[in-house]
Amino acid sequence: MKVKLEKFGTTLISRELGSEAFKAFQPKLVALPPDEELEIDFSGVLTLSPSWADEFLSPLLERLGERLALLSSDNLSVQATLKILQEANKRQFKFSPR
Amino acid sequence: MEERLLKISEAAEILGVSIDTLRRWDESGKLTAIKKEGGTHRYYREKDVEIFASDLLRFASDWISQGAEFPGTFYCPTSAVFQARLVKMERMLMEKPGFEKLYSLIVLVAGEIGDNSFAHNLGNWPDTPGIFFGYDIVKGIIVLADRGLGILETLRRVRPGLSTHVKAVEVAFTEFLSGRAPEKRGNGLKLVREVILANPIDLFFTSGDAEVRLKGADKLFRVTRGPNIVRGCMAKINF
Repeated sequence: MKVKLEKFGTTLISRELGSEAFKAFQPKLVALPPDEELEIDFSGVLTLSPSWADEFLSPLLERLGERLALLSSDNLSVQATLKILQEANKRQFKFSPR
Repeated sequence: MEERLLKISEAAEILGVSIDTLRRWDESGKLTAIKKEGGTHRYYREKDVEIFASDLLRFASDWISQGAEFPGTFYCPTSAVFQARLVKMERMLMEKPGFEKLYSLIVLVAGEIGDNSFAHNLGNWPDTPGIFFGYDIVKGIIVLADRGLGILETLRRVRPGLSTHVKAVEVAFTEFLSGRAPEKRGNGLKLVREVILANPIDLFFTSGDAEVRLKGADKLFRVTRGPNIVRGCMAKINF
């Protein structure tokens, strides 16, 4: 299953809204078949902050592990945020080619 | 050519303050009005109003140090208002030549600092809730400030041993803090530091008597003790 993050907005900054987005995503997460990957597509996102991403991507990484696959992005804020989240979680994200 | 004079009501609307505030500012000399010969009505030169409104750092600093009133256009009482104004700034930055890629890092820095103010003071604002958020895209400056608890007091909830503002600000900008703590702490300021160090963006940040100055090509992260104790937090971003 592929999720376009821009569905949650294009300026993803606040911790509060990141947490809301994660709650709103629960039904789809529950419906994800156990053998299927969840792909995160950042295209269309203008700014992603570590606070928002920590509420959304960190719990997904914890829950799905290897089944979470991120599509690479050339957006500087996405790149910087993913780097710091990996350091904070002491765990690497898996990237898939676009 | 004679310069157009603004009526007090027009100046009040531009600055987002009441007419009474403008009268007070005139009496105190903060923003002096002009009175036409023999008249009692106050008028303002358009240029004076423009220059007055552009001094973002003074507004922010007078607000956090003395609670001084500032133009309402810079006030974000809630994080929703901040988010909306940040998106507006983002659109303007994206159109600035040379910032087609860098814009997202500047929005990230401003967004993290502003969101921190709301996240760490929610339900605990000592008096005025919300933040000051002013920017001038042409001059390349963003100023953010809050009259919240400040870094030391909010960090003490997860690090009770912290005793100085300098140490608290250093921890906030350099250490990863546990998410399992009673208060969820992000790693936003760590990334702010990394982004500023690696890009042509300067930052001045202060909370309590701690100051961080990251400026120029050879930036070095260091927290120093400044001469004044600042209420809450204040940040100036230059790009």
